Amino acid sequence: MSLELATHLIDIIGAFLLITMIIILEAGDLYRAIYTMAVQSIFIALAGAVLGAATHNTDLWVIAGLTLVVKVLVLPWLLLRVIHRMRIHHKIDPLIPVTTTLAIAAAIVMLAFYLSSSLVLLKQVITGNALPIGIALMLIGILVMMSRRTALMQMVGLFAAENGIFFTAMAISQGMPLIIEIGVTLDVILAALVMGVIILRVKSSIGSDIADLDELKG
Amino acid sequence: MDQTLTRWILPLIQVVLLVLLGPLVTGLIQKMKARLQCRRGAGILQPYRDLLKLLRKGTVQSDTSGSFFRVVPVLVLGATCAAATLVPVFFAPVTAGHAALLPLGDALLLAGWFALARFLTAIAALDAGGAFGGMGASREMTVATLVEPALILVIFSVAIVAGTTDLRVIAGHPVGMRGSFGAADLLALFAMLILLLAETGRIPVDNPDTHLELTMLHEGMLLEHSGPGFGCLVLAHHIKQIVLIAFVQALFFPWKAANTNPQALVMGLGAFILGTLALSVFLAIVESTYAKLRFFNLPQFLSISLLSSFLAVALRLL
Repeated sequence: MSLELATHLIDIIGAFLLITMIIILEAGDLYRAIYTMAVQSIFIALAGAVLGAATHNTDLWVIAGLTLVVKVLVLPWLLLRVIHRMRIHHKIDPLIPVTTTLAIAAAIVMLAFYLSSSLVLLKQVITGNALPIGIALMLIGILVMMSRRTALMQMVGLFAAENGIFFTAMAISQGMPLIIEIGVTLDVILAALVMGVIILRVKSSIGSDIADLDELKG
Repeated sequence: MDQTLTRWILPLIQVVLLVLLGPLVTGLIQKMKARLQCRRGAGILQPYRDLLKLLRKGTVQSDTSGSFFRVVPVLVLGATCAAATLVPVFFAPVTAGHAALLPLGDALLLAGWFALARFLTAIAALDAGGAFGGMGASREMTVATLVEPALILVIFSVAIVAGTTDLRVIAGHPVGMRGSFGAADLLALFAMLILLLAETGRIPVDNPDTHLELTMLHEGMLLEHSGPGFGCLVLAHHIKQIVLIAFVQALFFPWKAANTNPQALVMGLGAFILGTLALSVFLAIVESTYAKLRFFNLPQFLSISLLSSFLAVALRLL
């Protein structure tokens, strides 16, 4: 696969990543957010595969496969399981109105493009919009974590931000070394497990969501 | 002779085609929807039969409405047909930078004609004095304030590359000239598909089948109309739908005939039919798989399209 074709494909995958991120940001329902996060991870895996085919780096194929298994199958399954165990209502109540969040997201994307234009000295493997879109995804993921009260939605935001970091890493290097990528993936699984356990424990011991904990001050 | 053909005859054929095929697309979508819901459904020619039935009926008018009320259906139909003249269907030649068709207007005027038709429909609904008409008009206008900025942004995102807002030039560009289908195109197309649902009054936004008064937007405004006038408004809605479908294709899939070569014309027409079928399938699937949104959740849904069209413009400029 030629590098031009790869650049074009990564460009289109970047647009799909932005679209899925907008849907996660807009989702009023935990199920929809989780499924969209899984779809976004499919696109991340595709991006890894495209870059692997373009640079003949077999590590990237392994990373793409790992993403497919962990982020598309395991993590959504884990989140859905926590939902079933908690028997919570799956409506998301945002701290600030969703339309405001969308406006902030637009500002974030502009900011990401502005920031990345000042990073021209950084040598990019995939030229084009991959770097700004990666930065934008990361920041919007953090925005999701900040603006939602439900702990599960904050987890979805964390994984979406992680997708952004992965995409950024692909844009500025030919993917991270395999050992680091495996370490990061294991960290993500571990984090998801720990967070899932904590959410369930908090739910079973005080019968409410993490978000209500700040009402406990003395 | 050739001049007359390209300037007058082919553009006129395109308009007539859009007007005649409008009800067929609605019938097709309804048939597919019925099949997806395991019903037999009415034949795809049903919208034509409905229109004929309406044209044969008499007119009943509310006492409060004035003579303007009777003119409105014709004006709305006229505005929608005028919008139909602006969209290339299968033929879009470009000679030395400008199109060789009827120079009637550009994509922004298309949005303008739709806005005029919407305004007239709403005014007539208020004029008739019915409670549902007023409520429908108020809701339709609320949706319009969210849809129109996004529509204009989608137009701009394509116009920035093409260098003009003239749809005939935009659609006349060979695909290679505009560059390949990139990230900004994709975002704009996503925004436009949501707008298509909103503008054609399809399910997440409005329910075209319902006469449950509390949920309707567009139908609510038409309640007070009857007979041929109602027929005109229904036909205008069919035409608006196919014009929007042709508009999506002109913006994002510009496979049009560039000259009067019969083979190119047939290819252009085939591309148009395929594109229309694809978008009809999209509309039918969305209608059968989604539930109608609560009215107060609509701004949130439509702001997705506003945001992604904004991002499309931003990607072009940055």
